Amino acid sequence: MEPAVEIQNLTKVFRPQMGGRPVKAVDQVSITIAPGEVYGLIGPNGSGKSTTMKALLGLVAPSSGTCRIFGADSLAVDSRQDVGFLPENPYFYKHLTGAETLAFYGKLCGLRGQSLKDRTTELLELVGLTEARDRHLGGYSKGMLQRIGLAQALIQEPRLAILDEPTAGVDPIGSRQIRDLILSLKERGITVFLCSHLLEQVQEVCDRVGIIFRGRMIREGRLDDLLAIEDQTEIILRDAPPDLLEEIAALVAARQGAELIRSGRPRTTLERLFLRETVERENP
Amino acid sequence: MSAAPTAYRPLNPRRILVLARHTFTQLVRMKVFYFLAVFAVVVIGANFLELPTDHLPENAGTEILYTVKNTSLGCMSIFSLVLAIVATGLLLPKDVEDRTLYTILAKPVPRLDYLIGKWLGVVALIFVSLMAMTLLMNLVLIPHTSKVMQLQISAAEFAGASAETKAKIAEDVRALGPTWNLQAAVLVTFMRAMVLAAVALLLSTFSTSTLFTAIVGFLILFIGFFQADAREIYFGKDSGLAGKAASGIMTVILPDLQVYNLIDAIVEGKFLKAFDLLKVIGITAFYCVTYLFASWLVFARKEF
Ligand SMILES: Nc1ncnc2c1ncn2[C@@H]1O[C@H](COP(=O)(O)OP(=O)(O)O)[C@@H](O)[C@H]1O
Ligand SMILES: [Mg+2]
Repeated sequence: MEPAVEIQNLTKVFRPQMGGRPVKAVDQVSITIAPGEVYGLIGPNGSGKSTTMKALLGLVAPSSGTCRIFGADSLAVDSRQDVGFLPENPYFYKHLTGAETLAFYGKLCGLRGQSLKDRTTELLELVGLTEARDRHLGGYSKGMLQRIGLAQALIQEPRLAILDEPTAGVDPIGSRQIRDLILSLKERGITVFLCSHLLEQVQEVCDRVGIIFRGRMIREGRLDDLLAIEDQTEIILRDAPPDLLEEIAALVAARQGAELIRSGRPRTTLERLFLRETVERENP
Repeated sequence: MSAAPTAYRPLNPRRILVLARHTFTQLVRMKVFYFLAVFAVVVIGANFLELPTDHLPENAGTEILYTVKNTSLGCMSIFSLVLAIVATGLLLPKDVEDRTLYTILAKPVPRLDYLIGKWLGVVALIFVSLMAMTLLMNLVLIPHTSKVMQLQISAAEFAGASAETKAKIAEDVRALGPTWNLQAAVLVTFMRAMVLAAVALLLSTFSTSTLFTAIVGFLILFIGFFQADAREIYFGKDSGLAGKAASGIMTVILPDLQVYNLIDAIVEGKFLKAFDLLKVIGITAFYCVTYLFASWLVFARKEF
């Protein structure tokens, strides 16, 4: 099957107009996302996440490498029919209401008449803004703006949603709503490409993650694989009495080469992995 | 599964119209229209100027007609040019700053359509405002013209003029009133604003602030008024081929606004020839297309 996203050896160098040295924002990044997958790109601020997404949308031109959406080159306008984008910290037109905002973006995608009306109502329902449909965006909270932004991205029923920091600056309840929305997109078979520095969120929704640092892809893989500790095995018991645990410990001790490191709840977090791969790598 | 396929080629009229309408409402809700109210007050104020009634000289009362026309068209000129430069200069930086540009260009919207939509939105706003002002001007002018007419005819009767002379006087006064010619002057004003809006659009594709666009825009406007004279002085009538080429290039890069000066002649009551109007339309079209195309050349390569 054709990949939803295919980024090959993407490099982007920003050259400041007034002298200064060029900034390599993205360096030889390749990402392939299969249809239906939820992919999370994580990395600290300034590591090139937004730039990668903008290149995929044709908002910046790659210095080298290619970006494709369902096989269509990102620099061609028709690649955008199949993609919805929620930018980082979006501000929409304050003079429009929620419903007008969706109608505007829908019309840009060629929707009209009853089908546009139905779609607007459906999306307002999906993101839980039916009550606020006739209120001006100037009065929306950050979480509401983020949700209307998500609805706007989905207006033409794209098969791919690109979300840049969808939960940044949103309170915990708001970000839970957004997380649930992303999961419901996944249920509908929509491919999601999101980036974040909020790791818990990524851990909860993503099938696969890539860690990007200073423009380079450092680790990439299935979330389950990345978080597994290769030379360790987890045995999860329920209602194990203390004497059973002692017995197990004795068994392990009797065996050459094996070692009981810890009993309790061995677990790494995405956060620990993230720190190991980025900050700790920086100063070895 | 996805929406009905739209035409992805640039210059899709429906998409441009969506963008233009949106820009129009955006500007209206930005309250730029308040300029209009000030203007209306000025014109209505001119209405209260009293007609001279005693000591009737030869052309009694005609100054009031000149005054109404001058203030109205002057206000229209200022309003349309300021709106063309400032409103256009505001739009792009605002979209970039608010990141609304990302969401628009992330939809299947060619960048050329986006630019034309923005420009048309400003142009539509200017058109609607000029229409309202023209209406107001005519409303003021009609009663004034008939009053002046009365005055002059009765003065002529008092002097015992012939029917022929009276007909001539009536015709002269009518030519100073709300003629088609005068409406054409508004049209010329409108076209000049279209050109300036296109200039401001081009400027805003590479400028980093609205202030820069506005200052350079007004500078170009100013140069435009005197450009033809400057060309005459620098390149003279009989300069060589190089001089002619340089002069030609200058007219393309900086719009020559002297062609729009026929507004003043019309206010004086001179008759606008169809050929001159067609010439202005042609020049306007040339400038608008050139500047929009140049804007697109810059904007198509722009990164955000
Ligand atoms: N338009 C631009 N011009 C110059 N430098 C830029 C531009 N956009 C981003 N950068 C630089 O590229 C780097 C990556 O930025 P970005 O992709 O926004 O990071 P992230 O989204 O991961 O925080 C940063 O160092 C940033 O300063
Ligand atoms: Mg970013």
